Order: sequence, then structure tokens, then C-alpha cells
Amino acid sequence: MSAKVKVSRRSFLQAAGVGTGAVVFGSYLTPALQAQGLISNLINGFPVTGVPVVALKVNGDVVIITHRSEMGQGTRSSLAAVLADEMEADWKRVTLKQADADAEKYAVTFPSEVPATVILPYPYETIPSIRKPKLQYTIVPEGSQFTDSSRSMTAYYQVMRLYGAGIRLAMIRSAAKKWGVDPKECRAEKHRVYGPGGRSSDYRWLLLGAGKETPTYGEINAALKKPEEFRYIGNGKEPMPFYDALDMVRGKTVYGADVDVPGVLTAMIERCPVANGTLLYWDPKPALAVPGVRAVLPMFPPGFHAGGVGQAFMPHAGVAVVATNTWAAWQGRRALRPTIQWDKGLHGTYDSQKYRQELETSTAKPGKSVRSKGNVDAALAAGTPVEATYYIPHLAQSPMEPPVATALFKDGRMEVWAATQSPDYAQQVAGQVALGNLPTLPIGDENVEKARQAATVHMTMVGGGFGRKSKPDYIAEAAMLARQMPGVPIRVQWTREDDVKFSYYNAVSSQHYEAALGPDGRPTALLQRSAFTSFFATLFPNSDTPGLSPAELAGGAQLRASLADGGIYPYGSGIERAQGLEDMPFDIPNIRIENCEARNHIRVGWMRSVANIYHAFGICSFADEMAHAAGRDSKDYLLELIGSGRILPLQDEQVAQYRNNELPLKIIEVPDEGGKMTQIVPGYPPDTRRLRAVAERAAQISGWDEKVKQYKNMKGRGLGIAVHRSFLSYVAIVADVSLNDRNEVTINDIYGVIDCGLAVNRDRVMAQMEGGIVYGLSYALLGEITVKDGAVVQNNFDDYPILRIYQTPKIHTYIQEPPAEVVKEYGGNVPPTGVGEPPTPAVAPAVANAIFAAGGPRIREIPFNKKVMVL
Amino acid sequence: MSLFQLNVNGKVYAVDIDGNMPLLWALRDILGLKGTKLGCGVSQCGACTVHLDGVAARSCSVDVGVACLSKITTIEGLSYDGGELHPCQKAWVDLGVPQCGFCQPGQIMTAAALLKANPHPNDEQIDAAMRGNICRCGTYPRIRAAIHKAAGDATS
Repeated sequence: MSAKVKVSRRSFLQAAGVGTGAVVFGSYLTPALQAQGLISNLINGFPVTGVPVVALKVNGDVVIITHRSEMGQGTRSSLAAVLADEMEADWKRVTLKQADADAEKYAVTFPSEVPATVILPYPYETIPSIRKPKLQYTIVPEGSQFTDSSRSMTAYYQVMRLYGAGIRLAMIRSAAKKWGVDPKECRAEKHRVYGPGGRSSDYRWLLLGAGKETPTYGEINAALKKPEEFRYIGNGKEPMPFYDALDMVRGKTVYGADVDVPGVLTAMIERCPVANGTLLYWDPKPALAVPGVRAVLPMFPPGFHAGGVGQAFMPHAGVAVVATNTWAAWQGRRALRPTIQWDKGLHGTYDSQKYRQELETSTAKPGKSVRSKGNVDAALAAGTPVEATYYIPHLAQSPMEPPVATALFKDGRMEVWAATQSPDYAQQVAGQVALGNLPTLPIGDENVEKARQAATVHMTMVGGGFGRKSKPDYIAEAAMLARQMPGVPIRVQWTREDDVKFSYYNAVSSQHYEAALGPDGRPTALLQRSAFTSFFATLFPNSDTPGLSPAELAGGAQLRASLADGGIYPYGSGIERAQGLEDMPFDIPNIRIENCEARNHIRVGWMRSVANIYHAFGICSFADEMAHAAGRDSKDYLLELIGSGRILPLQDEQVAQYRNNELPLKIIEVPDEGGKMTQIVPGYPPDTRRLRAVAERAAQISGWDEKVKQYKNMKGRGLGIAVHRSFLSYVAIVADVSLNDRNEVTINDIYGVIDCGLAVNRDRVMAQMEGGIVYGLSYALLGEITVKDGAVVQNNFDDYPILRIYQTPKIHTYIQEPPAEVVKEYGGNVPPTGVGEPPTPAVAPAVANAIFAAGGPRIREIPFNKKVMVL
Repeated sequence: MSLFQLNVNGKVYAVDIDGNMPLLWALRDILGLKGTKLGCGVSQCGACTVHLDGVAARSCSVDVGVACLSKITTIEGLSYDGGELHPCQKAWVDLGVPQCGFCQPGQIMTAAALLKANPHPNDEQIDAAMRGNICRCGTYPRIRAAIHKAAGDATS
């Protein structure tokens, strides 16, 4: 972490758009606003143009705008509490306001220009469909509100702190001026400034003075609290707030379907079961005969296509039934269904069972090398061979709230209310439809801006996302129907069956491993082959997309290759390769990692932890197979594989461009006013010292060593362990299972340890660990989507089961401090990293390993209920 | 269409609707009570749970023509006109049970009915009563803990 890069302070401030001297606080109290006499508006009214994050009312109460989507991680409370902490706000005087979609407004963060030699975390211009914010570079690549990849806290922790500290500093200075004292003699605590001689004042009486203060970036940065001064962060002095809990338990929280739009009609859509299929014929009459049905509307012009297999993130072809209430729409759809004829097209013969053989054939052959060290072939020929192939099926996210969106087209503009993880995409697509264009993402700054102007998107609470609601297909559906019925709000309501059959499925995958063990039982070589259906094949045109011209194909390939080290069809993207494949953590002398071909036939998206699901299942199961082949204890062997710990030297091992969850491997610094270098973005290198520490802790809290001895003499009881780094955090899982004579498995206990750097909201980190473990258990034991004749076979929770309460083990969670030397390297402040997804990937291999240890079969495929009984 | 009287949370509503309409849609679309959620539509997940005469029922699978014979309680009516929280609601907040929160009205309605029938359930009884309610966020461990906590509060 010694390599540092410089960003000039001047360019940083210019790009922040606030002029020198007023970076953070000034970004909502700019000199320009003051000159225009807008201060009173600012503190009285809401919203105010140019207020990205926070405003104070006349009475001193604070309104914090939460611009990310909230879908259960508690990010909304946590980010606001980070600001409130630095501001020394009294949480009782804080209210939250959910922002509308506005990529430009909420992209106000840093850093800005950096020298050309620096590998940037977020090169915006590589994403042609997304409008560039005024800053050249921002913390988040996909658009500022895209709530995905477990990145909200990582990306915005420091930003929120700076906003808060800037306000605190301005309040202190305002008080000091009023009292004629040195600001150094004053301090702020819970909405009050205290000065010498027992003087104190509530923030409300300091507002106007504070508004005139313009602390510099350097001053604000220097004023940031020390960890021991935190009030809410890490439960410093008070527990972290959970703003939404009370409304949630009273049924008052407004989710996608709960928005009250007067005169709304409900639409349900019968969709073509196959990706890229088209509508041939339908008869509206039977549906129109159902009382309450107002209209029957086709969804697509003939020949519509966008993107690749599954049309980017645009809807399937369909016919909508629009009615006065949900039940009427439901019945109308039932009447409509038998009248429809589809052309299922190219993918109408896809069979996922047969496809499994195709994938396994693919990983039986050499693929494209993505990481290489030493001479694997020679080493493999010399040692004791171990070999295994694992299979992971298509999986659906199935959040409890099925997708739903409401749209109103009026006066040439689209207004949308939706539960979405991706407000910016939603706004772009809705805007395109409002303009009379096809429901695709616009290309080019001018068109992007036109689309942005043409749509407003209101974000509701998201009733579970898990990646499903990152895709705006259902919002495009609502906008397209609204466009056809101007002035009438249309709510598109999905059923559970729609959700199961029209997901963006996590990739189906084959993982093949070969190793050679040396005389000491440790591997001398590892060959790893990964084949998975990339979601880039849904996004970008490719040779399996029907109806494309050679020019469209070539353009699509070029676009894909330019984005995120995107690779070419039918291989995976840089994003997927960086999720547990290129960064395979074990310290082995000879390594070759390959990505093998996988052709797409249904639409693919991502599900909680994405490519980590199949990569972690493969490598952590295989580690256990090697341990057994070597006759060693699984935990001891795993620790030896990890080694004493190091920062993975990926560049030295032929990894072309490692996508580190789009965050930098090394620190980015800027000089402050005095020329002193100040860190603005920390580095997040893959560090196996931290992986080792969570593994050791999991072994300790599970009582591994004692239990292993104890279970040796017990029939049908076993422990399994797995580790995985994802979304910059480190997780270890130990599973304790029983297997009886009838081959019935019971998961007794799961021990989960996470190192997520600073655990900002400890209770929500624990909650994510608990929930992420249940999510992992759910797909490991029960999860499978199959496809026949191009259509998804499963329908609802009866045939796509989700783990239930009685199947849920005791879960023990532990938040691990990073190792002392790592803390020291970060200067005492290890930055917060992801918690939403990291708990999930290591669960499946830990349980599979435990089942084997309990005398059960070696499980090499998901779901496990094909090999053992899950009651 | 027919005229039905629905007794919901102590109020009587007269509605002119199709008697085959599931209670869920009458509550949400006709009466505007949106705390009751659609999760699956086929009694598999419990997100739509309400009480019919104090017993937990899945409103997605009970027709209005049947529901009109019972006193209906929804999540909006559980805490007595927005007054004091039901012990389950309080325990849910105290233990930070919700994540996305979408399934929680249904979970709480099932749990409240359980505690009414069995004021001190053990883990197995909780699991048996709650097995029809899915939570995709995986809040089950805290749901168990919150029911125990509510049981304590309810008797103290």
C-alpha cells in the first residue's frame, strides 16, 4: 500500500463545481446561492436545487436525503447516521427523505481528474449509455444511485463524513464568532455548540452564521472525528438508528405496489416464455369481456430487439391486460392466455439438462487463460492427482416483493413510481419511452440528457432486491403502457409466477479443477476451469442473438470489449472473472486459471454475490477434497492453502485488468491547502492475511478442534469450513451438520465470521450475515431453475422452494477486526467494505464439506437435495 | 358484482365487487389497506396473512364471499388504531427483525395469532406455526427470538 497517486487539489475543487474554499459544506451553501438570497429557502423549503445530501430547517432539525435504494441492508439509516455522527446531530432531530432518481445531482462526490498513468476506479466514459456527471470521475461507476455490488457504504462513507464534519465545523465557527472566542475553545455535541464560560447554543440559533462559513476541504478533513469520538458509527456512544423499522412492523412502509396514485389502473402481462421470442397473434375479446378490463395492449413492435440474449434489460414480448383492479387484470389475463401465439424463435429448444453436458464438455477442454504462474502441466504430471467438476444451475433471486412499477404519461413527460435498485437506468428508459423512442438505453450525451429531462422516477422502499431489481424491464413495461394511455396512471403488477419465469437468472456454471499433491500432501499445481453464462451476453449483441445485422453484431462486440474488460462472447466479463476466479486466494506454486466457453439461451443477470456463488462453491469444495486426499484436517489444510498471508500479486501472474469491485487496489491522495497529501480513496487489495484471520476465528468460535475429535467417534455428524473474499470483505463459514441413516440432513449450526473493515452499523452487519447465510443455505439445499423448450419450468414457491424457518439452523455471527498489521498499514482506519453479499458464497461449500465429513456423499452440484434429503 | 359487508379492523365497509375476488385484493385495491402484501398468490409464503376471527389466514386464498362472514383484522388493525404497539411489533422493533420488511406484516400477523393460541411457545412450536411464512432476507433467527420476547412481555 505504499504506492500512492496524486490528484491536484485545484482540479479536484474545480471538478466539485464549488470553487476553491468551499468543498463540502459549500456544496449546499455556495456563495452563489447566498448571493441570490436563497438561504431562507434553503432552510425553510424543500427540496432546493443544488442540495444533494442534507438541509437544515429553521428550527435546526436536519433533513438528510437518502439517495441510494433501500432494500433491507439498512443503508438508508446507516449512511444518514454517518453524516449525523460527524455533524454531532441529535438523531431525534433527523428525518430522512428518499431522493428521486437523478444521476447528475447525486453524482456529486469525488475524486476528479487524475494523471493518465493512474488506473482509475471509475472511468465513466467507458459506459456510453450513462450520462457523465459534471465531475469527470465519481466514486460509483454505474450511475450514482445504482444500489448494487454491496458498495453503498464503501463508496459513500467518507463522503457522508465530510458533509457532516463540514456542518459541525461551520456551526462551531458561527458560535465562536457570536461569542467572540476562538473556535478552538468550542466543541459540538448533540446539536449544541459549547464554548468557554459555560456558554452553549443549539444549532438552530447558529444557522445563519454557519451558512456564511466556508471551511476548506483540508480543514474539514482535519476536523474529522477520531474513531473513539464516534457517536453512532460502530455503536460508539449510542446504538445505530434503524429509521424504517417502526413503519415496517405497522405495515405503513410504502413499497412499489403501495403507492397511491389517483385513478390508477392495474396491468398484468402475459409474456413470451422464451427470450427474444416474438408475438404472432392474440385475440383481445375474451379478456375485454371480463368486467373491469379496460384495454388489451401488445407490448412490442414486431422485430424489436436490443442487446443480446434476453434483450439487454428490456422486457420480453408480451400482451398486457389493463383493468380497474388487480383481480380483474388477473382474470382478464387468464382469458387472454389461450388466444396468444408466440414465435419462440432461436432459443425455443433450449433444454438446461442437456446444456449441462455442453458446459461440462467445455470445462473438459482448455479455455482462455486468465491467470498463470509457473508450469502447471509439468507439475500436474509429477504429483498425486486430485480432480473434480462441480455444477451450479440457473438460480432466481425471488425477492418477496414481486416486481412492480407505476407510470403516468402526461404533457410529454413520464412520471414513475417504482421499487428499483437502479433509479438512473429506470429514469433513462422511462424517458426514452416518453420521447416516443424504443425502450432502450439512449446513446450519446445529448440523448441521455433528453431522456433525463423527460422522466421523473420516485423511489419506493424495495421489498427485497438481490439483483433482480437492478434491471428496469418492469419499469419499461409500465412506461410503454402509460405512453399508450396518456393521462392514465398504469401499475404493472407481477405475480410470483412472473417473477420465477422472467428473472435475470444467475449464471449456470461448470467448475473443473485438477491438482497435483506433493509428498507432503500440499498441492504443487492447480488447474482451474470455469464456464458460466455471462450476463454480458444479455447486455450485448452476440452470435446467439436472433435478427441482428453484421454491423449490429460488430458494434455490440466492440462496445462490450470496451466496458469493464468485457471480453468476447461466449466468454465471461472482467466483472465476473474478478469474483473468485482471477483472485483465487490459495498460495500454490504453479497455477493456471482458465475461462471456458458458455453460450447463452436465456437471460442472465446477477443474484446476491453473483459469480462468487459458483467460484466459491467450486474452489472451497475442491480445497476440502484435496485435504481429504492428503489425509489432513480440513481446517488445518485450508489455513496452509491460504498461507501466512499476502497481497495477491495478480499483475505478476498475468491477470490483465483485475476488477476490484470497481474500487482501487491502491490509495488515491490529493494535496490539501498546505500541500500535505490527504487520502481521498483508500486502497482495497485482496489480502489473504485477512482471509486467514477470519478462518482462524471461525475455527475458534465453532470449537473446531474439539468438535472434530468428538465427531470422529460419532456417526453422522460433521464439520465443514469455507472462506471467501468478495465485495472487498472477508468471510469464513463453519457448518455443523447431522446426517441420519435415511440420508436426511439437518444443519445444526452455522458460524459466520466477517471482516468488513470498519463495521459502521454492527447490528445491520450481523443482520446481513444472518440473512446472507440463510440465502446461501436456501440455494445450496433447494435452489434450481430448469428450462425446457426454452421456457422456465418452475412456477412459484412450491416448485422453487425457499428456505423456511424450521429449516434454519442456529446462526452464530462474529465481526472480526482486521489483523493488527493491516490496521497499522491503514493508519488505524480500515475502511468499511461490503456486507450485503459477502456472507453468502462460502455457505454452500462449508455445508457440502460438512455433509462429507458426516459420512455423506461428496456433493458436487447444487442443489444438495439431489444427493441428500432436505426435510 | 354483488354487495358485501366487510368488517375490517372494527369498521364495516360495504363493497360492490365480484364475490370471487380474493380478500387480499379487496383490502388493497378497494379498501386501500396496503399493509397486507402479495407474495405468491397461492398460500405458499404468508405475506398476505390476516386474522379471520382471530385466526391467521392467507388473504390471497380467501374469497370476499367467505371473508365477509368473519371479523377481519389486518396489520393496520393489530396495534389498536395506531396506538400502543402489539407486543410482537414492539419485539420486532427492539430486536431489529426487519430487513426489507416486506414479509414482516404477514410474519407478525401469524406470530400474533400463535401467541393468542399459545402464549409461551417453544422453538418447535414457533417453527411449526411460522413455517408457512417465507422471509427471503432470512430474518428467521430474529423472528424466533422476537416471538419469545413478545411472549415474555405479553405475560409480564
